[in-house]
Amino acid sequence: MTLPENFDFTQSNLQDYLDCPYRFYLRYIRHTQWPALIVDDALAFEQRGQTGARFHRLIQQYLLGLPEERLADQAAADPSPEVFSWWQDFLQYAPPLLEGARHVETVLSAGLNGHRLVAKYDLVLVRPDGGLTIFDWKTSQKRPKQERLLERVQTRLYRFLLVLSGGMLNGAEAIRPEQIEMNYWFTSQPELPINLPYTADQYQKDQTFFKKLVDEIAALPGEAFTRTGDLSKCRYCVYRSHCDRGVEAGDLEMFDDFLPETEENPDDLDFDQIEEIAF
Amino acid sequence: MALTSEQSRLLDHPSTRKIALVGPAGTGKTTAGTLWLKKLLESGIPANQILLFIPQRTLAKPYEDSLWDDLALSQGLVSIVTLGGLARRMLDLFWPAISSQTGVAQPDRPPQFLTLETAQYFMAHVVRPLIEEKNYFESLTINRNRIFSQILDNLNKAAFVGFPIEEIAPRLKAAWVGDVEQMHIYDDVQASALAFRSFCLEHNLLDFSLQVEIFIKYLWPLPACRSYLTQSYRHLIVDNIEEDTPVAHDVLREWLPDFDSAVVIADREAGYRFFLGADTQSAMTVVDACDETLLFEKNLVSSKDIQGLQNGFRRAVASLMGETPLQQSLPGADATRAIVTPRENPRYFPAMVNWASAEIRRLIDQGTPAGEIVVLAPFMSDVLRYTLSRKLDEYGIPHHSHRPSRALRDEPAAQTLLTFATVAFPEWGLLPQRINFAFALMQAIDPFDLVRAQLLSRYVYDERAEGFPLKPFEEVPAEVRDRITYRAGERYEQLRSWLAATLPEDDQTLDFFLNRLFGEVLSQPGFGFHNDLENANTVATLIESIQKFRWVIGDQLNHDDFSTGKEYVQMVADGVIAAQYIQPWQDAPKDSVFLAPAYTFLMRNQAVDVQFWLDIGSPAWYQRLDQPLTQPYVLSRRWKAGEVWTTEDELRAANATLLRLSLGLLNRCRQKVYLGMSEMDVSGYENRGLLLRIIQQVLLETKRGIR
Repeated sequence: MTLPENFDFTQSNLQDYLDCPYRFYLRYIRHTQWPALIVDDALAFEQRGQTGARFHRLIQQYLLGLPEERLADQAAADPSPEVFSWWQDFLQYAPPLLEGARHVETVLSAGLNGHRLVAKYDLVLVRPDGGLTIFDWKTSQKRPKQERLLERVQTRLYRFLLVLSGGMLNGAEAIRPEQIEMNYWFTSQPELPINLPYTADQYQKDQTFFKKLVDEIAALPGEAFTRTGDLSKCRYCVYRSHCDRGVEAGDLEMFDDFLPETEENPDDLDFDQIEEIAF
Repeated sequence: MALTSEQSRLLDHPSTRKIALVGPAGTGKTTAGTLWLKKLLESGIPANQILLFIPQRTLAKPYEDSLWDDLALSQGLVSIVTLGGLARRMLDLFWPAISSQTGVAQPDRPPQFLTLETAQYFMAHVVRPLIEEKNYFESLTINRNRIFSQILDNLNKAAFVGFPIEEIAPRLKAAWVGDVEQMHIYDDVQASALAFRSFCLEHNLLDFSLQVEIFIKYLWPLPACRSYLTQSYRHLIVDNIEEDTPVAHDVLREWLPDFDSAVVIADREAGYRFFLGADTQSAMTVVDACDETLLFEKNLVSSKDIQGLQNGFRRAVASLMGETPLQQSLPGADATRAIVTPRENPRYFPAMVNWASAEIRRLIDQGTPAGEIVVLAPFMSDVLRYTLSRKLDEYGIPHHSHRPSRALRDEPAAQTLLTFATVAFPEWGLLPQRINFAFALMQAIDPFDLVRAQLLSRYVYDERAEGFPLKPFEEVPAEVRDRITYRAGERYEQLRSWLAATLPEDDQTLDFFLNRLFGEVLSQPGFGFHNDLENANTVATLIESIQKFRWVIGDQLNHDDFSTGKEYVQMVADGVIAAQYIQPWQDAPKDSVFLAPAYTFLMRNQAVDVQFWLDIGSPAWYQRLDQPLTQPYVLSRRWKAGEVWTTEDELRAANATLLRLSLGLLNRCRQKVYLGMSEMDVSGYENRGLLLRIIQQVLLETKRGIR
């Protein structure tokens, strides 16, 4: 067992492991930050990330019931004009989808074979018809194919975990997989969200998959976290120079096609980690 | 696990009560808190409805560990917050609802949260002209950065204690007796604090004090915010409430009736974070607001002899303060058995370290686990830490030390990157000295030694150049090239060409420039960072610091002739920023000796078998820091307006500090305390402080049979 004490498995670290076990080892076991760039146009990439984070915050504030006109003022004053346009699209298309009990920025966790799985949801909606919809707001420039989203660890983990431990959002009632769907809402095509219903069969497959995966990771000795054989995974990996697999960072324009898992909520600082310093 | 009667009594209560647990450290209160948490979860209460409120993040560890012990209970995460963290989260969420009342110039734009370093930077930006043009702080001879940080400290105190910032100087002045010049200093503090606050409001910047103040003034009373909090959290656990601040206590006291249940844990004889605003008296107002108080009295940690030593301390300090001690005698307790001292106190400090290290080795040889030993000093200076570490390394004893922060500018890896930045941007006019450039080359090229690096830099680097200062390797004379080696020359050429291709506009995003330099050159095969994971972390920390600086400063001060990169490098050189940088992740190996400042150990709240107290003759165990611009006692809530701070107050405060600290340490010690001192301290001064005198008195009384 080489995992750090109290290690939580999340969609991004599991995806990291699937992409490259050595990347997982460096990032989560050795705690090595490798300060190379992910993409070539770092400033544009940063601005996209920050713009997306501000838009997420606006939606969160809307869902918490803050006055719409104040939010519109914020959207209009945003340094990126995209935000205002996304905001108008959101108001046009999203509200009809949002009827029900809203659980905003909810965190669920569950024990699985002695390990803990954790997921942070943008929104879990308990609909009046008894169904539950997981919403994930996406500000990426391209809308991926449905098949691609179905394979993603995020889709699999979020739906699986909601069945496993979402009862607390459902009046302490157990949740059946068929009650759940995951809705990816894209700013690039706000009228065409992708809806992914869940099934009992898929739940069984996910359970087997995650059990095997976390057991495998937990049992690996340090030296067995090997580098991926798929060199395309190295294109947007910061450790590429350490592994001697490239010099320059990947092309930003191709980034959405590649869809790597970046750090979970990179803008989301852990405020409580801020320590006071004696003066 | 066998429960104490007090723990059982707590668990017998229904989860609809508000109960305070009060008693000294080491009586099982936190364990009771973790058991209460499990009881809530087992009764079906969702984890996300439980709020754990603590003054400092390290204090949450026992609760996190207990949740891991029983993963079946894990169906969500318990929210763990400090007041500062809560304030910032609420500001982030509810900003649009209150921004127009806060006085910021652009209420439709989100605020920018300042870190410690960026707050320090802006304070310097605002106050430096006042110092240079208006002769502020003229009579002070302390480092400017200490001036800036103490003004920030005053602002934080105002926010945490809950008084308007306009009252900083009036309060300090009213309590001052002495030189009139000090009054002028306080006036300068006031004017600087106000100027800084105006600057922040004008630029939508929220430093720590403004975050707390806005939360208390506008968000906490806001119905939307209050209902969000009360609906989200139904059950409260507060631990170490005595280490929190008066405004945190105000919030908790008002919030308490809204919870379905609460457990509020308070340590008696504590309040170690006093200098950060902790207030034990206001903590008791929250305790009093609970339905019931359970007293935890039975010490579960310390041996009888250690408890005897505690009694001795209480008696000695009470006698110093002219008071009568109130505690029961402990028959059979012998404080002398709890203490180990060297046969003779060595004259110099290295001998004290040798003695302590040898005793640690002996303890470990006799079966004491390394993780059950801590070495404490009032401050863990670099020289003490280094000497101790070296000695323990020599003995093969695992150890780790904690420093809350370290200076990035002192890290060779960070220096290397900044040196290359100054070479790449000659227009900054900050070209490094040749020796520093050679040193950077030595770090960058693998393998390369300082002799060859100096030789190379003598031929290729022109520190007086107007433009780009590096020449190609081929211009080095052939015989010198042979000595340097062509392999190293090739690496140098790679680096030089890369730096030469730098565009002037890259200095606005110095962080990305360094990301590329690291990724494309310095971490490639043949360069020094290729396999150096530790140095990579240092560089990452540097780049993160630059990035945060750019996010805040770039937006505020951006104009044509302003270079964000140059400004950052200059501020690092001046010690304004990156002087204290908190490491993002710290390894704390389990079974190893812990070397720490005494207060750091206390705030981990973990007991050990054996403690070493070093430098016990030092006055730093009880004396206040020299802070001419602030005063934690006068700016506390318990200070009465109009009173003056006298030397008697200072003495009483020192005695109280010493008693609090020593009892706190002893409450976390199971068996023995080793006392180390040398006649002369690290700086060559004679050591005869109060702690030493008290210990001598305790030993004398014990010999006389007083228990």
